Amino acid sequence: MASEAAIRVRGVFHRFGEEGEQHFVRALADTSLDVAEGELLCLIGPSGCGKSTLLNIMGGLMEPSSGSVEVRGQPVRGPRPRDIAFVFQENSLFPWNTVIDNIELGMAFQGVSKSQRRARAAEALAAVGLKEFAQHYPAQLSGGMRQRAALARALSLKTPILLMDEPFGALDEQTRMILGEDLSVLLAQSRKTIVFVTHSLGEAVFLADRVAVFAARPGSIKQVIVVDEPHPRRPEFVTSAKFTLLRNQLYGLLHDEILKAVLQSRADDAGDTKAEPA
Amino acid sequence: MARPTAERPISRKQGRVGRPLSRLVQAGFLVAVVLIWYLAATRWGVNRLLLPNPVAVYDNLLDILRSGEFIGDLETTLGELAAAFAISAIGGVTLGYLISRSRYWIEVFEPLLAAIYSIPIILFLPLFVLFFGLGPASKIALGATISFFPIIINTIAGFGHVDRLFVRAARSMGASDYRLFRHVLLPAAFPVILTGLRMGFTTALLSIIGSETLASLAGLGHRIVHLSEAMEMARMFAYIVFVIAIAVTLNAVVSRLEARGKRD
Amino acid sequence: MAIASPKQLSVLHSLARRPWLARLVVIAALFAFWEIAARWFVDPLLLSPPSQVVASLDKVFGTSGVPAALQLTLFELAVAFVLAVVIGLVLGLAIGLQPLVRRSFFPIVLLLYGMPQVTILPLFILFFGIGAASKIAFGVTHGVFPVIVTVVAGVQNLKPILLTGARSMGASHWQIFRHVIFPHMVPSFFAGMRLAMSGVLLGVLLAELYVSIAGIGYFTTLFTQNFDPAKLLGLIGVLAAMAIVLNAVVRRAENHFARWRAE
Repeated sequence: MASEAAIRVRGVFHRFGEEGEQHFVRALADTSLDVAEGELLCLIGPSGCGKSTLLNIMGGLMEPSSGSVEVRGQPVRGPRPRDIAFVFQENSLFPWNTVIDNIELGMAFQGVSKSQRRARAAEALAAVGLKEFAQHYPAQLSGGMRQRAALARALSLKTPILLMDEPFGALDEQTRMILGEDLSVLLAQSRKTIVFVTHSLGEAVFLADRVAVFAARPGSIKQVIVVDEPHPRRPEFVTSAKFTLLRNQLYGLLHDEILKAVLQSRADDAGDTKAEPA
Repeated sequence: MARPTAERPISRKQGRVGRPLSRLVQAGFLVAVVLIWYLAATRWGVNRLLLPNPVAVYDNLLDILRSGEFIGDLETTLGELAAAFAISAIGGVTLGYLISRSRYWIEVFEPLLAAIYSIPIILFLPLFVLFFGLGPASKIALGATISFFPIIINTIAGFGHVDRLFVRAARSMGASDYRLFRHVLLPAAFPVILTGLRMGFTTALLSIIGSETLASLAGLGHRIVHLSEAMEMARMFAYIVFVIAIAVTLNAVVSRLEARGKRD
Repeated sequence: MAIASPKQLSVLHSLARRPWLARLVVIAALFAFWEIAARWFVDPLLLSPPSQVVASLDKVFGTSGVPAALQLTLFELAVAFVLAVVIGLVLGLAIGLQPLVRRSFFPIVLLLYGMPQVTILPLFILFFGIGAASKIAFGVTHGVFPVIVTVVAGVQNLKPILLTGARSMGASHWQIFRHVIFPHMVPSFFAGMRLAMSGVLLGVLLAELYVSIAGIGYFTTLFTQNFDPAKLLGLIGVLAAMAIVLNAVVRRAENHFARWRAE
């Protein structure tokens, strides 16, 4: 594994709105992070702690209020379609296109030549197990299949980095487990760098090489935990003692932060914009 | 409260600056229109028989209002409107309710009514004129006919598509027919019926002005036609402004009533 | 109450199963009512029974000038519709895509949309004459507004996540318009077309009926003044049929192109 960081985040602060305004939010405070090439890093933390914001900043969809992000040595100034592909929680497939047209369109946006698109699309669909559904419309697929298709689209772009924002968040538990195992298998085969935002402790431990735990708003990284287990992760890992230990560790770290976040959101609802963690 | 979401675009400035700037553009646009009108009528030599001087229009408007010349025509038009709407409202709501009592009849009539509503019923005006003459009766009849449809369609929709769950819940608590109507069906259907009534009113107004324009001896629509035939452009424009103002006001009042009725 | 015979029961039963059949029965009953009322109860100078209307149809078409007037009306409808849709699409896109333009001009569009346009019908005739131009123009002003409004709505209610996704994959502005905004807007556009057809029908027919010295208006006035309800009903019936067919065509097109809408 190369020691060169694929993504380098330095001193990122981010605010929404201006101070004094009603909707002013300090989303991130002094966040720094290195994502090593080929690793799967999970970002986990309470609601509103800024992990999705950080992901968007990493991927160039947002400019941070201050601080810097470098991807593969180059500063990030906007989307990097050749280096970074996203998978979102909300279904982002175009409903008016079939699955395979969606994937080919993604490649068209990236700049892949027309002749290559069909083959790569078919390849990506096969990798996620949706080959028979190429001509279906997103509305005809279940939630899990739609996310698979979104993943296929991201994979077809053949980017070295994949940023995933709670991709399985809207799915039921069983689908999540299956998709998680599939993702782990894919990972072992491809050596991509993946940053994965999740709410689920189990998912984080199962998938990640490292887990970055966020503090409550304004978000910053409280601690990074290492999960030393080779990919692909076997289903038996979930019931192992190591897994339970790591999961408990995460729980301990998160518990206080979650409590703080709940108190914060109650204060927000009551109209007090100055609520900040002690 | 702003939630950091993946969908927030990079530029965030537009919200705050937008609103006053758009008002400015609107004001500027209106000023430009009036200005061009004025210049076209006075400096650029557009035929006075086509485009009157806006100042003359204004003067005529004041004259109309002061002299009360408009009262007769206004009475005629509003009278026709009131009669037409009363007929279509009572008829539409009653028949709509009766039809809505049965799933079967709803299924039979809904598409029929929608199909008839989709053609411009003003087409039948000559028939009404043939039958009722050029007087108010033909306008009232046509107005009632045209505005009948949105009212009955919405009434059927309102009563007919009350969630069966509510009906079952009420019945299970022992509600009688009358109670069911008064406390479940009516409140549930009320907003939709109000919308239908508002639409009926607006269409009645439009069709009455329209039929006065096409074939009448009195009323505001007729007055405008009369003035256009006499080529009294400034006065005609003044009446047009007047009628539009009345129509807009009436529609605004009715919309306000609809919103008020829905809120309670 | 007499017990219904098995035959009656089976008729009722098949009616109950098929509402469309009941609809036909209702329509037939209305026609029967019309026939009876007109034949025996109403002054023949004021109303004709449907049988007579159908019988006089060939006389209606035989009347010199009627077929030409009908053709002209159809032509006016077609031209007005195309113009309304094209102008509406262009204006709708211009207004919908730019937030400042939209905030400024959309309220103006809504204001004009709600205006009783029939008040300026005499003006249109004065400006454009009694020929096809005024009818087409009046039709366009009725049909253009629903298109603008629906196109703006179609552009507006695009889910932000779709735009974000496209941006993240490196789509250019043109690609976003062509592959995201435009296809998303198409179903709304077709709904707008359906409304535009209704508007164009109203506008063109209103203008035609207003001008009593040429076109359809001439003949409706003629038949009315001659107290000839059969021919009048015949002519109006043909126009109504035209309206129904045109509406149905546009609705069919709308259903075809809105296939992907999950609603």
